[in-house]
Amino acid sequence: MKKLLLSLVLAFPIPSAQAELVVITHISNNLNNLTAKQVQDIFMGRTRLFPNGKFALPIDQSSPLRAEFYQKLTARPVEQINAYWARIMFTGQASPPQQLPDDKAVLQTVRENEGAIGYIDKTHVDNTVHILLPLH
Amino acid sequence: MKQTLILLTATVLLLDVANAFAKDTYPNFTVSGFGTLGASGTNTSQLGFRRDIKQTPGVTNNWGLDDDSRLGLQADADINKSWHATVQWVARNTTGDFLEQNIDWAFLRWRPADDLDIRAGRLGFDNFMLSEYRNVGYAFLWIRPPHEFYAGIPVYHFDGADIAKKFATSAGTITIKAFGGNSFLQIPTNFAGSADESFTVVGGKLAYEYGNWTARLGYSYSKNNDELSALNPLLNTLNSEAINTVWPGAQGLAQRIATKNRVAHFNAIGLAYDDGIWLAQMEVSYVNSNIASYPSVAGGYLSAGRRFGKVTLYSLLGLSKSLSKRITLSDPLIALPALSQLHSAADQLINGNGVDEKSLSLGLRWDVGEHIALKTQWSYYWLGQNGTALWRTPASGGPTPDAVNVWSVGMDFVF
Repeated sequence: MKKLLLSLVLAFPIPSAQAELVVITHISNNLNNLTAKQVQDIFMGRTRLFPNGKFALPIDQSSPLRAEFYQKLTARPVEQINAYWARIMFTGQASPPQQLPDDKAVLQTVRENEGAIGYIDKTHVDNTVHILLPLH
Repeated sequence: MKQTLILLTATVLLLDVANAFAKDTYPNFTVSGFGTLGASGTNTSQLGFRRDIKQTPGVTNNWGLDDDSRLGLQADADINKSWHATVQWVARNTTGDFLEQNIDWAFLRWRPADDLDIRAGRLGFDNFMLSEYRNVGYAFLWIRPPHEFYAGIPVYHFDGADIAKKFATSAGTITIKAFGGNSFLQIPTNFAGSADESFTVVGGKLAYEYGNWTARLGYSYSKNNDELSALNPLLNTLNSEAINTVWPGAQGLAQRIATKNRVAHFNAIGLAYDDGIWLAQMEVSYVNSNIASYPSVAGGYLSAGRRFGKVTLYSLLGLSKSLSKRITLSDPLIALPALSQLHSAADQLINGNGVDEKSLSLGLRWDVGEHIALKTQWSYYWLGQNGTALWRTPASGGPTPDAVNVWSVGMDFVF
C-alpha cells in the first residue's frame, strides 16, 4: 500500500542526471564482451546462459539507474519493461532479475559470484570486476 | 473436492520446500501480486455486461465494480537451478467455489535444459495469446481482454501437464508446447444456479517471436466427461414415455441437449507487433463444437495503438458470431402450461446460447507510475439477432437492445 501511494506521489518523472553505465561481470568470467542483444536476452529472461555456456545470474537495481539502463539497452521506457515482466512472471515462465539497492551492492555481489552480471555507473567501476558492455 | 485436495497438497509441498531450503543460498522464495480496481456501466437495464461467461450478473446502467476488479497473489519458489514451484490465486467475481475455482496455477516446473520446460499441476490454458494472463490487466493494453474473443472462453486453467521446447535461431525464437489434462469448471446456468463441468483437454501451441513481432497458432480439443448435473431433471422428463406420448420428438431433443462426450475444438491464430511506439494485435478463432448449449462460433479482434510518452491511445474492433442455425422445435400435441414451460426450457438450451456481436472501442492507458496504470475505455456494441450469450439476460426477460454503450475506468497495478 505504501508502495502504491509512493508510486502515485512519484507519478511524474523526476529528471535525473544522465550517467554512463557499464555492464559488468565477475573478473574471472572469460568473456571478452557482449553485444547489447546478448545482454538484453539475459536481462529479459530469454536465456539463462552466457554465450560461453556458463550460467548467468542477472542483477538488477531498484535505484533510478534502472530506468536509464533499460532505456539505453532496449530503447523502451521502464513501464514497458515492467509490463513485459508482469506478463512473463504471472504466466509462470520466469522471474525477473533480483534487484539490489545501489551500485555498491551490485559491485559486491558481482565480485562474489562468478556468474553474476550487473550494471553500474561507470564512475564506480574498478579493476575487481570485468566490463562486458559500455552503455552510452 | 479431489481438485481441492490436490491443490492443497501442492500448496503444502511448496511451502515445505520453501522452508526446508530457506537457509540454503539457492532456494529463493518470492511473493508477488497484481490487481485491478475497475468500474463499469452501460446504458441499458435489459442486459448485464460481463467480462466472461463465468460471471453473473454483469453490470447494467447501474454501475458496478465486480466485472474487472480482481486481486492476484503469486508465490514462487526456485528450489534449485532446475526446479521451480508456482501458485497463483486470483480473487475475482466468478462462478463456483471461491477458493478452488480462483486457483489458476499450482505447478512444479522442471527445466532440465535452458530451452526445455516440463510442468505438472494446475496450469494455464494456453490456447490464445492472452490465455495465461487474462487477469493481469497491467500486462495488456485494454481495460479487459477483447470481449468478442475472450468472454466466451470459460476455461482459465486445467490440471495436468505440459511440455514446452524453445528453439532460438538467428531469425527469431520458436516455441512449441503440448499440454493435456482435465479441466474442472463451474459455470452459471439460467435455470439452476451453477453447474459443474469436467473436460478432458489436449492441445498445443506454436509461437514465433522475431524482433517486434509475435505470431502464434493454438489448438485444443475438449471433451465433456460428464452430463451437466443441472440438466438431468430436464433430460429425464424429455426422455419419459408419458411426455413422448403427448410430445412426439421430445426424446430427440434430449439427445440434442445432452452434453456428455460432446466435443469442442478451439482453433486460433494471432499476430502482435510492438516497436515501443506503435503496437497492434489481432487474433482470429474458430470454436467448432457439438455441444448444443455452447454452439460453434467464429470470432476475432484487431487493435492498434500509439504511445505518447506515458499515455497510450488505442482502438479495438471485435466481432463474434455463432455459426449454428436456429432449430425449430416441434410442438406438444396438447397445450398445457407445464408442457409449454418444458418446450421453452428446451428451446432456450438449443437456441438461446448464440453469440452475435460487433464492437468498436476507444481507450487510453496512462502509466502514471512504474507499477501502476490508469485506463479508461468506451465500447459500442452492436448486438445481432443470433443471440447475446456473452451477456447476462435479466430474469425479467423482455426485448434486448440492438446496441449498448459500455464505459469503464480502471487502475491496474503489480507489486
